[in-house]
Amino acid sequence: MERIRRNPLIISIAFLVALIAAFSYGDRTFVSAYNIGSLMEVVAVLLAVGLGQACVIVTGGIDLSVGSIISLVSVVFMVTLGPLGAAAYPLVLLVGAGCGFLNGLVVSKLRIPSFIGTLGTQGILQSLAFLVRENAVTPPEDRYALLDLVQGKVGPVSAFWIISAAVFVLFFAAQRFLPVGRHVFYVGANERMSWLGGLDVDRARIFAFTLAGFGAAVAGIVVSARLYQGYPQIGVEYVLLSIAVVVVGGTPMTGGAGGAVNTLVGALILAVIRNGLPVVGVDAYQQQVILGILVIIAVAVTFDRTKVAIIK
Amino acid sequence: MGEAVLELKNIQKRFPGVVALKGIDLEVRAHEILGLVGENGAGKSTLMKILVGLQRPDPGGQFLLRGRPVVLDGPEAAIRNGIGMVFQEGAMIPNLSVLDNLFLCHEDPFTRGGLLSQRRMAEKARTVLAGVGLEGLDPRAPMGELSAAQKQMVEIARLLWMSEHYGVENPILILDEPTTVLQDAEVRRLFAILNELKKRASIIFISHRLEEVVQHSDRVYVLKDGAHVGTLERTPGMDPQAPIAEVPRVVQMMVGHELSAEHYRESMQTEPGQDVVLRVRGLHKEGLFRDFSLDLRAGEIVGLVGLLGSGKEAVCRCLMGAERPDGGTIEVGGKRVRFRSPKDAIRVGIGCVPIDRRSEGLATSLDVAENVNLLVLRGLRLGPFLDPRRERANAERWATECLVKTPSLRAQAGNLSGGNQQKVVIAKWLAAHVRILILDHPTRGIDVGAKDEIYARIRTLAASGMSLLIMCDTLEEDIGLSNRLLVMKDGAVVRELSCAAREKPSPVEVVSHVV
Amino acid sequence: MNRDPLASAPGAPGLPGNGSAAAPDRLAALRTRFRRPLDVVSRGITGQLVALAIVFTIFGFGTGGVNLSPRNLLVILDLAGPPMIVCLGIHLVIVIGAMDLSTEGIMSFVAVSCGLLVRNAFNANDIGFWVVPVAVLLGGAAGLAGGLLSTLARIPSFIATLGLWWITQGLSVIIGKGNAVPMLDTRFQAIASGRTLHVPNSILMAAALFLALWALQKRTRFGRHMYAIGGDEALARQAGVRVNRVKVLVFVLTGAIYGFAALLISAQLATTNPRIGNGRLFPAMTAVAVGGVSLSGGVGGALNAVLGTLIVVALANGMVLMGLSPYVQTAVTGVVLILAVALTIDRKKIGIIK
Repeated sequence: MERIRRNPLIISIAFLVALIAAFSYGDRTFVSAYNIGSLMEVVAVLLAVGLGQACVIVTGGIDLSVGSIISLVSVVFMVTLGPLGAAAYPLVLLVGAGCGFLNGLVVSKLRIPSFIGTLGTQGILQSLAFLVRENAVTPPEDRYALLDLVQGKVGPVSAFWIISAAVFVLFFAAQRFLPVGRHVFYVGANERMSWLGGLDVDRARIFAFTLAGFGAAVAGIVVSARLYQGYPQIGVEYVLLSIAVVVVGGTPMTGGAGGAVNTLVGALILAVIRNGLPVVGVDAYQQQVILGILVIIAVAVTFDRTKVAIIK
Repeated sequence: MGEAVLELKNIQKRFPGVVALKGIDLEVRAHEILGLVGENGAGKSTLMKILVGLQRPDPGGQFLLRGRPVVLDGPEAAIRNGIGMVFQEGAMIPNLSVLDNLFLCHEDPFTRGGLLSQRRMAEKARTVLAGVGLEGLDPRAPMGELSAAQKQMVEIARLLWMSEHYGVENPILILDEPTTVLQDAEVRRLFAILNELKKRASIIFISHRLEEVVQHSDRVYVLKDGAHVGTLERTPGMDPQAPIAEVPRVVQMMVGHELSAEHYRESMQTEPGQDVVLRVRGLHKEGLFRDFSLDLRAGEIVGLVGLLGSGKEAVCRCLMGAERPDGGTIEVGGKRVRFRSPKDAIRVGIGCVPIDRRSEGLATSLDVAENVNLLVLRGLRLGPFLDPRRERANAERWATECLVKTPSLRAQAGNLSGGNQQKVVIAKWLAAHVRILILDHPTRGIDVGAKDEIYARIRTLAASGMSLLIMCDTLEEDIGLSNRLLVMKDGAVVRELSCAAREKPSPVEVVSHVV
Repeated sequence: MNRDPLASAPGAPGLPGNGSAAAPDRLAALRTRFRRPLDVVSRGITGQLVALAIVFTIFGFGTGGVNLSPRNLLVILDLAGPPMIVCLGIHLVIVIGAMDLSTEGIMSFVAVSCGLLVRNAFNANDIGFWVVPVAVLLGGAAGLAGGLLSTLARIPSFIATLGLWWITQGLSVIIGKGNAVPMLDTRFQAIASGRTLHVPNSILMAAALFLALWALQKRTRFGRHMYAIGGDEALARQAGVRVNRVKVLVFVLTGAIYGFAALLISAQLATTNPRIGNGRLFPAMTAVAVGGVSLSGGVGGALNAVLGTLIVVALANGMVLMGLSPYVQTAVTGVVLILAVALTIDRKKIGIIK
């Protein structure tokens, strides 16, 4: 039991398999090439934003601003695609990472709880998105080809697979092979010890938030490219979804454990739910209720109550 | 001295794997101060928790209160039966006012139609506070602004008021280490009040300061390894000014055997080298310590002794970079240094094994290898990336070196025993090749076998040229391990004592400088 | 007496009868004569009053004094009513050291439910003013769920209420099938948007709620126990406070207040829809923080919530008068939130900032 609480990956995987089995039983075509393709669209977005959120949650914090970052990236991307062309891609990735960096600065240098700091920046970035464009924005039609990159195919493989694989490998490597990525875990596991051990706690935290901003930027690109348009509230739903992806994958809110693999499983679970529930006749809003319950259950199972005597 | 108010007979308490209390008999009489002593882990705290209903004894024993058997199923029940405890860390809520704290959860006498009368609470509070010598205190003052001594007296006042409220005659007050946070004058004041309270209450007084216990208790009850090993009475007529003669007897009952010279591996003690590795001059921090100077030589073990509040902890925090001193100089290896954070101290080779492993020393949710590698992670790279093989090799090397017993390097550090956790912390610092190691109570909460391994480790480290600054659980440990002792009192070093092997000063001699 | 860290602590060692401690004691007595310690419920009011004055002064210059006209002051009061009620609700949860994110979901859920119960365009229901207790009960029931999850199921209130937010938000769409439901009973709007002696009814309702909560916090056991829990939950439990019961009741009370606020807002708009709660959490949380309610719990009360709301509303109103884009206003609110928390948070108490 203790083992499961620390890293309940096994439960999450079992849950994923059970879900797929159940939906396949409800609809024989659930596991079909077409459906897996549409599943991967969802996975790519959830994985990008979820991996970023996971970095922050591993430090023991939370990022409530990822939705605003997605919105901002979405409008900036569409606005700059015309004049800049392909250079818009690196530009908005930078914008996203920069927003994350700003979050990290606010939270670590002002020494305020991350949920308050990012609640504040969430408002600021949302305003920025609105100031860039109040309504939906579409790029000139001659730039559609650039957007098709995101939903195209490389040989037989859809670009969503490649994007998913790329962000996963990137985040996995950052956490596994970069010292600063590992510091994120130390800070989450025991911040006081990390500081006494000479770790630059602020740097680790800023790194985590920057990755979260980067992940949100990738998600922002994918959602906008899929729709051929950007609008300043496109990211709103992803705050909660990203948290759900992380906790359903079994990363504990208390920090210091979990990570990329857990988040991959979490993203698959949520994608299957989002794609599967309509198949068995559950609409989007009923899904929201189910997601809410799922998050509560996931935390109830993974929350390490021995680590915090008092639950607040 | 009166009849027995509380009688415990054959009280036992087992926890998984440990017998905390092995059939205890305890008698608390009316109008007495009962001193309770025992080493860490002797079962004092378990006994106290049973007395205040925080834990239940195993079936089989008898718990008689005023002649009748009772079952205390919680602190609430203990209060109603007139047993209350003043906890070491304090139990008053800092943001609330004194009167809120005094009557918390027992506000009914001040309630009319569901509304509290702050005015009537304040009136009552004044009389209750006057009973413990706090006449001048404003009952509306926030608790957090009171001094430690005042907080303690408010807690005592609360317990007394509650027993009055529930109509209990002669309540039992348990005071857990009440004097550690007080200064001399306050201690004297406390005992003056306790002697006054004795007329209407019984007091159980727990302390590590044996002199105080012997001096102020009517009887001294000694616990060792979960068993009662004897009760010493202050014989009537004996001069209360000179009870220090009894301390050695109490010590002997607590320890159970004469300390052998080999207990702290003293045959392995080496003479320090000549090079001064750490030179501190005139270090001071406002309100905590002043004019602290030290020459720590290569291979030397210096013990810092002093009571809580003597300033020794603050000195160490300044030396490891966790706090900034207000003035003075620190030189490491002849070079002047200034620490803005622990990072700077580590860079010049100063490490610290903290007193609180779980909150400061270890990442319990990470595995052994990750804990050992923390400080040297950057050195285990291949290009910009971490090399898993070098990580494993480094962890393997230092875990083996420090004799860490773990099922694997990937085992969670939090699941190891206390002794092995401590070895992981030491391994972490050795891997970083520090030259100076501060050991803050290195054997706290560790079993006897592991303690001996830690002692041996300290000796070999010193022999290899590492300099150590130690603060230990017991004075004997400090004396036994060190080459030299610095005695601190009220923020200043008051005495330096040499502790060469086979020429160790006696604990009694050191104690006379400490208090 | 020796130098000692304790001696420098405020309200220093005043055990009277002790010769050396007598001097600080007289000092303490003097000090209490001039400065009666503020109760925890209203600690930190002074700074908030100053902040409010500063906001009015700055916009007084910015708008040429328009913001201080009686007419505009009434506008501010009119605008402040509903957010003040929401803020009075959420601050209760903050005082016990917990967090509540379910505000928007619960409000939407209650609003849509009530919309379908009074005379409306979708069904034959018409329960008239019975809808008031129903709204309060529905909100209270939703709050109860959050409270039970965070106490009995031992899930951090942050996550429990996050989940609750989605659940109630989803339910609000499901029960109303996503429609806006116009309220056809005009009496509700008449009361909710009406004025009594020129004063908006909504602010009168907020004032009544404030007085009730103020009395609750200052003069009842329940109120004092809330502060004990916020100050130190473990010690409160040790002292005998029924921590779980108080916490659950606080969540219920907060939910009930959300319910009432949702009904009030719906009545003002004469329609309900599942988005009615949107954008309510952020300003309420800002008002709580700006008002000086400690986010780590245990300090600040109803008066802080009221002042915080007034500051936030006056700020927004001033920006409108100066013709700033509403989007800039959101950003300013964000900055104010961050600054208010950064300046007031007690870092000693949280120790580690997560």
